[in-house]
Amino acid sequence: MVEVIVVVQKESDGSELLTLAKKVGEPVALTYGTNEAERLTKYFNKVYKIKEDDPESIFTALKNLYDKFNPKLIIGMSSKNLKDAFSRLAGIYDLPFATDIFDFNVSGSKVTYKRSFLSGRAVESEEAQMPVLLLALPRRTQKSEGNVNGSIEELSIEKKSQIAIKERKEKVKGGVNLETAEFIVSVGRGFKNKEDLKLAFELADLVGAQIGCSRPIAADLKWLTEDHWVGLSGKKVAPKVYLMFGISGAPQHLAGITDAKTVIAINNDKTAPIFKNADYGIVADLYQFIPILIKKLKERH
Amino acid sequence: MSTMGDIVVLIKPALNPEMIRSLPDGGVDFDNIPLKLSDIDRNAIEEANRLKETLKGKIYSITISTWGPISKRDKDIKMAIQEGLAKGVDEAILLEDDSITPGDQVTTASAIVSILNKFNIKPDLILAGEATIDGFSGQVAGRVAAKLNLPYISFARKIDINGNKVVIERDLEDYVEVVETSLPAVISVTREINSPKPPTLIQIRMASKKPQQIVKLSDLTGVSTQKKKLVEAKVLAVKRKQTMIEGKSLEEVADKLIEILEQEGVLKH
Ligand SMILES: Cc1cc2nc3c(=O)[nH]c(=O)nc-3n(C[C@H](O)[C@H](O)[C@H](O)COP(=O)(O)OP(=O)(O)OC[C@H]3O[C@@H](n4cnc5c(N)ncnc54)[C@H](O)[C@@H]3O)c2cc1C
Ligand SMILES: Nc1ncnc2c1ncn2[C@@H]1O[C@H](COP(=O)(O)O)[C@@H](O)[C@H]1O
Repeated sequence: MVEVIVVVQKESDGSELLTLAKKVGEPVALTYGTNEAERLTKYFNKVYKIKEDDPESIFTALKNLYDKFNPKLIIGMSSKNLKDAFSRLAGIYDLPFATDIFDFNVSGSKVTYKRSFLSGRAVESEEAQMPVLLLALPRRTQKSEGNVNGSIEELSIEKKSQIAIKERKEKVKGGVNLETAEFIVSVGRGFKNKEDLKLAFELADLVGAQIGCSRPIAADLKWLTEDHWVGLSGKKVAPKVYLMFGISGAPQHLAGITDAKTVIAINNDKTAPIFKNADYGIVADLYQFIPILIKKLKERH
Repeated sequence: MSTMGDIVVLIKPALNPEMIRSLPDGGVDFDNIPLKLSDIDRNAIEEANRLKETLKGKIYSITISTWGPISKRDKDIKMAIQEGLAKGVDEAILLEDDSITPGDQVTTASAIVSILNKFNIKPDLILAGEATIDGFSGQVAGRVAAKLNLPYISFARKIDINGNKVVIERDLEDYVEVVETSLPAVISVTREINSPKPPTLIQIRMASKKPQQIVKLSDLTGVSTQKKKLVEAKVLAVKRKQTMIEGKSLEEVADKLIEILEQEGVLKH
């Protein structure tokens, strides 16, 4: 009997999701778009596959499988398209659904899990009745070994096609990888012009740091590409040092740096909230301080 | 009764994360955290205003109370709704009822649909935020769309209406997807779609003259009971040292900073 539907594209996600699925029962997988279906057969006895990768198609395939198996759990890794697809299935059947969960457990017909709450300022524990839909945070679960030899079945979905995809535009990337950076220099609205960011870039080059930024720098002003954006709606980072200039310390920014080891803030307003959320604080004008810091660092060599 | 071209915006008075309070045991002190209009819903209201110029109908806001007790929350809830009215909503509908708090998205979405039925509102467009600032779950709009069997377009950062057709830019992790659908539709918007300004005093004064309907659960049919329960919430205690680095000159401060960076092992020797 199938008790879990795992919605997955990548093998690495599949091996984590299998660990979660096994807490409930026997899983099948649904994979979509460009996927690793072959590799997923190591983890799942049955891998259903659709060519499409838009939320409407994923929803349609998922609903077919849901109606066929009546599973207790539908689980995937958090992504925008799966939030879209899962919310539709949840809506049709009034099923409980939670996004970005971790610490998943099962007891009887209930599940419990944790998730971030209040824009990253708190963690909530919730309990829901199965059947339930969940989207998990990646890299929070132990991987399971894949030791089955499953089969692939391609599903064709008859789409009512309410939504036509016209175009996909790849996002421009600044070539940073903040998630793995050990040292991040991060910039905020304290910078008055785009050109002034070169102060931060010069500093970062000198010490081999990557450049991060607050939301307005990437989203509103577009001075940097979105891969620099740290926070609740940006990247979650975990460097040894997060050195920030001209960032006020809004909760949504702090939500991205909870795993940073040491947070250092430079701000010219001694009442800026960031000083309560930093390990070290310096009250200074960044325009005066960065050149001095650069000079001192150069002298060191 | 609704006419052609009506827009519904879904707006939530959410717990304000900036005003987070903690109980002695580290739990979230819910009762002492005020509510405010969830930020991204402001963008939804702003977009409704813009699109009204094309659609020419009326803008309704629908709000389902999720945090109780109502007696304590009523003022904040009304303020949030008032902000919507001040920013261009023509008529506000509110379900306020202690029996559905704390709410979940199953209740919220079914109550929204029930309100649309009760007031016989058949909008061309339903707008929501991509997620709320308290729960950040991003699912209410999708649920509503599925229940109404309408096309759902999530994470919109641009909306263009042309006759019966809408072209939307969806903002995804790695790419922007341009899609086309026809009205009526449900769209969730991101913060990037526009930059709303706070209402002016005149707008706020005008708002109090606009109609507001307040309903109770007993006025509605088909509202599902909650399927999720909040067991506990803890304030995230990221303890930072909060040490200020000071000195007689910025040079001295810079030296101290460099010393710290060395200790942390991020400066190569
Ligand atoms: C749903 C939602 C999601 C969000 N997601 C994110 C997110 O992922 N990431 C994010 O960052 N934000 C996010 N935000 C926005 C967040 O609330 C803040 O608006 C934002 O972080 C502020 O950016 P900032 O600190 O750069 O700018 P500001 O708040 O304007 O702060 C600028 C700071 O610079 C200081 N300053 C000015 N001049 C100088 C100078 N010469 N020298 C030194 N210091 C100076 C000022 O004192 C001030 O503290 C989100 C908001 C919402 C509602
Ligand atoms: N209680 C509510 N009343 C009205 N609209 C809501 C409510 N909860 C959520 N919404 C709408 O759905 C969006 C997404 O909310 P959520 O799925 O809870 O993150 C919000 O930005 C609102 O537009």
